Amino acid sequence: MDPVLIKLAIGGIAFLGCIGLLFGIGLALAAQKFAVEGDPKVEEVLEVLAGAQ
Amino acid sequence: MNASIKRSAFRPVWLVLALLFLLAGCEKIDNPFIKKGGFKDARSIMIEFAGAPDASWVSDPANFKVFQKNNPDVLLPVKQVDVGPDKKTVFLKFGEDLDLKLAHTVSMASIPSEGKDMGASFLDVKKSYFGYLFSILIGAMLINNYVFTKYLGLCVFIGTSRKKSTAVGMGVTFTIVIVISAMISWFLYQFVLKPYRLDFLQVVTFIGLVSLTVQAVDTILRKVNPALFKAFGVYLVLVIANCVIIAVPLTLASAEYNAAESFMLALGAGGGFLLALFLMASSRERLELANVPPTYRGLPIAFVATGLFALAFMGFSGMAIF
Repeated sequence: MDPVLIKLAIGGIAFLGCIGLLFGIGLALAAQKFAVEGDPKVEEVLEVLAGAQ
Repeated sequence: MNASIKRSAFRPVWLVLALLFLLAGCEKIDNPFIKKGGFKDARSIMIEFAGAPDASWVSDPANFKVFQKNNPDVLLPVKQVDVGPDKKTVFLKFGEDLDLKLAHTVSMASIPSEGKDMGASFLDVKKSYFGYLFSILIGAMLINNYVFTKYLGLCVFIGTSRKKSTAVGMGVTFTIVIVISAMISWFLYQFVLKPYRLDFLQVVTFIGLVSLTVQAVDTILRKVNPALFKAFGVYLVLVIANCVIIAVPLTLASAEYNAAESFMLALGAGGGFLLALFLMASSRERLELANVPPTYRGLPIAFVATGLFALAFMGFSGMAIF
């Protein structure tokens, strides 16, 4: 295959992987920094309910 | 006390932004002897000098070579040169209409003034940059409204325009998200995708960017302003499913806009969507009270109203500002 195309493909994969990693890390950090402690009872109640809907 | 410190820390950011904006609008003139140049009307260019240039030099049209900036090989013939009453202002008259959308260059070799040579100059003449930015804003908002003339984002438009309060909430969220994601996508397109010839990946990248922005706004808003978060509710996530938000980065990429122009287009698209939602919500609230035939109640009459709005917005089509 044409080496230019291979270069493009590798570049594309690298680029998408990089921004995916960056966005993921950024969102994880943001989620940690802006964490909202929810009421644990809400989850427990939801667990007990039937949950069909 | 703590809050006031926090607020003052934000102020320099706005100052820097405003300064950048001003700098982007400034024109540089290479010769200090020239104060300013601009279009006077379609067939004349005005140049203002700092002093009075020699009358014999000014009156000869051959001393001014005018061409379109991106097309320097084709000289536009100057028909006549008029001097203003203060002898410092010069009007170059042309036989044919100039294309005012393009930047023009006036080339002058050695300007003589009162026995001294004031040097040569390539003077760029173009329309006011702020006017151009404003025309992009209004164009995206009214003339090419994304909902009513391009028929984009209709699912969210119909879905959230039942009540005025949700419509405004959705419009505001949408505007915030679109401005942020358009600015990041402009940066990525200009500095990563285009130089490395990866522009075929633009759709994938822009979709990722939009989801990033929505998720980030969701996370941050939940902590910073829970009341607003509750008011937005499900609409924040619905923004991802909007096609205007992907159309704007694609438009920016194909039109090769710079940062300020991209900002204005994104703001205009968001504002236009807000306007469309608000108009539609107002009319749908009225329709709830109207005596609509049973077959048309609910969605069908909303579609009819949308069509009428689209027709009304057609009245803006083809308008040019500045």
